[in-house]
Amino acid sequence: MKRNYLTVAFLVLVAIILLFPIYILFMTSFKSANELFTATLWPHFPTLDNIRAALSSKFLVSIRTSLVVSITVTVVAMLLHAMCGYALARFDFPFKDTLFRIIISTLLIPSMTILVPLFMIAKFLGITNSYAGLILPALFNAYGIFLFRQFYLGFPRELEEAAEVEGCSKARIFFTIALPLSKPIIIPLTIAFFLGNWNNYLWPLVVNKKESLYTVQVYLANMVSGYSTPWNKVIASSMLAAIPVFILFLIAQRYLQEGIKTTGFK
Amino acid sequence: MTTKSVRKLSRRKFIEALTAYCFIAPDFLGLLIFVIIPIIYAIIISFYHWDLISEKVFIGFGNYSRMFSDENWWNSLGRTLKLTIIYVPTLFCTSLFLAVLIDSVKSRLNSFIKTAILMPFAITSVIASTLWMFLYNEKRGFINAFLNLFGIPDQPFLGSQDQALFSIILVLLWINLGYNMLLFLSAIKEVPASYFEAAMIDGANRWQTFRYIMFPLIKPTSIFILITTTIASFQVMDLIMVMTKGGPFKATEVGVLYIFDKSFNLLDLGYGSTLSICLFVILFIFSFFQSKAVSEE
Repeated sequence: MKRNYLTVAFLVLVAIILLFPIYILFMTSFKSANELFTATLWPHFPTLDNIRAALSSKFLVSIRTSLVVSITVTVVAMLLHAMCGYALARFDFPFKDTLFRIIISTLLIPSMTILVPLFMIAKFLGITNSYAGLILPALFNAYGIFLFRQFYLGFPRELEEAAEVEGCSKARIFFTIALPLSKPIIIPLTIAFFLGNWNNYLWPLVVNKKESLYTVQVYLANMVSGYSTPWNKVIASSMLAAIPVFILFLIAQRYLQEGIKTTGFK
Repeated sequence: MTTKSVRKLSRRKFIEALTAYCFIAPDFLGLLIFVIIPIIYAIIISFYHWDLISEKVFIGFGNYSRMFSDENWWNSLGRTLKLTIIYVPTLFCTSLFLAVLIDSVKSRLNSFIKTAILMPFAITSVIASTLWMFLYNEKRGFINAFLNLFGIPDQPFLGSQDQALFSIILVLLWINLGYNMLLFLSAIKEVPASYFEAAMIDGANRWQTFRYIMFPLIKPTSIFILITTTIASFQVMDLIMVMTKGGPFKATEVGVLYIFDKSFNLLDLGYGSTLSICLFVILFIFSFFQSKAVSEE
C-alpha cells in the first residue's frame, strides 16, 4: 500500500513537471512588460496588455486562415477516405489489390523528398498563394484510407446484405448505412486530421508568401525569427493560438485515447 | 445458369466495379498528382543541374557523385543520427516506464496523470518552439532561474554548439512522451490479468513479471513505436527551423534542414532532390528491415 502512494506521488510529480511549461505559457501572458523576464511563479501585477497587443488584426486573420484550412481539409478528407476505404474493403473489381498496394506504398515517401516537386506542381496548377494551394495537397493521405479500410473490413456485413436484398444500390448502402455507422473511426480521425493540419507549418510556409494567407503557425514562427523578439506579444499570441486546440483536446480526450487504441495514430 | 441471369450478374458486377472506381477515383487522382508524380519528378530532377535561373542541364550521376564527396551533407546526416540515437531510446524507455507505473497503481488521480502527461501533445510544434525559446532564454529564462537556485550558472542552451541539439531533443521528448506512453498503456491493458497473477503465484518478482511476461507480450507495440519514432526523428524539422534554424554554427543542421536549405534558400533544386532521394532510400531500407522484423513475429 505504501508503495502505491509513493508511485502515485512520483507520477503526480512527473505530471506537474510536464504541465509546468504550459502553466508558464498561460501565466506569463498576464505578466506586465517589466515582470516578463523575472522568474516569478504568478503575475504580481496582472495585466491584459499582452493579450490586447496579441489580438492584432493580422493574428486574427491568421487564426481564420488556419481554421478554414484545417476544417475544410478534415471534412473533405473524411468523406473521400471513407469512400475509398469502403470501396477497397467491400467492392469487388479488377485491379483492386494493385490499387491498394499503390495507395499504401505512398506512405513510405518522406514529405521532404516531394517538397520541391510539390511546389512546382502547385505553381504549374496556379494555386500558390491561395487557399487551394494550402488545402488540396493536404487532403490526400494514405493512412486515412488504410484506417477506413481496416474499419470496414471489421464492420458486420448483415445490415448491408439485408439492404442489398431489398434492392439498394451499393453506393446508397454506403451513404445511408455504412457511413452513418462509422463514428468510431470518424471521431478519432477527425481529431487527428484537425490537429495535424492546425499544426502544419512547412507546407504553408513554402506554398504561400501572401501575408493575408499566413496560417497561425507561420505567423507565430515569423514573430520569433527577427533580431529582436517582442516576447510579451509572442507568449500571449502563442497562448491564444493554443486555446482552441486545448479545448478540442480536453473535450475529445476520451475519443483521442480510444483512437490511439484503435488506430495507433496521431 | 441461363444466359439471361449471367448477363444480369455481369451487369451487376459491372455496376459494382464502376461504383468502386468512382469511390476511389478522387483519392487516387489526388495521390497521383500530389504524391506519386512528385516523387517521379524528384527522381528525374536529381539527374539535372537546375537553379531556376538558367536552363535545366542533364548531368547524369553528377549530383550523386557530388553528394558522396559533400562533407557538409554527411555531417548533417551524422547530426540526424545523433538525434535519433539519443532521442529514440530515451523516449522508448521513459514512456514504457511511465506506462508500467501508471498501470501498477490504482488511484483516483490516474486520469489526471494521464491527461497531464498527454497535454503537451496538444501543443503544436511552433507553439512549443516559441514557448521553449522563452524558457531557455539565456539571461532571463525560467530554466536558468531554476538552475541558479542550485548554484548552477546561466547556461546558453540553444545558443551553444554543445547544448543546442540536446535542448531540442528535450522539447521533442516533452511533446511526444504522453502519446507513446498511452500506446504502451493500451498494449499493457490488453494482456490478460491472469497471466500476471499466475506469475505472482509462481513467485516471480515485479521485474521478472515485466521482463518475461509483459515485455514479450507487448512486443508488437514496442516495434511499432520504435519504427514510427525513428522515422519521425529523421524528419524533425519544424522545431529546429523555428528554434535554431540549424545554428549555432550548424550544430543543429540535421539532414532534412540541409536539404531544405539547398533547395529553397540556395535554389540548387537538382542537388536538393538528389539529397532528398538519398534520405528516401535510407528510410526505405530502414522500414524494410523493420517491417521484416514485425512480420517475423
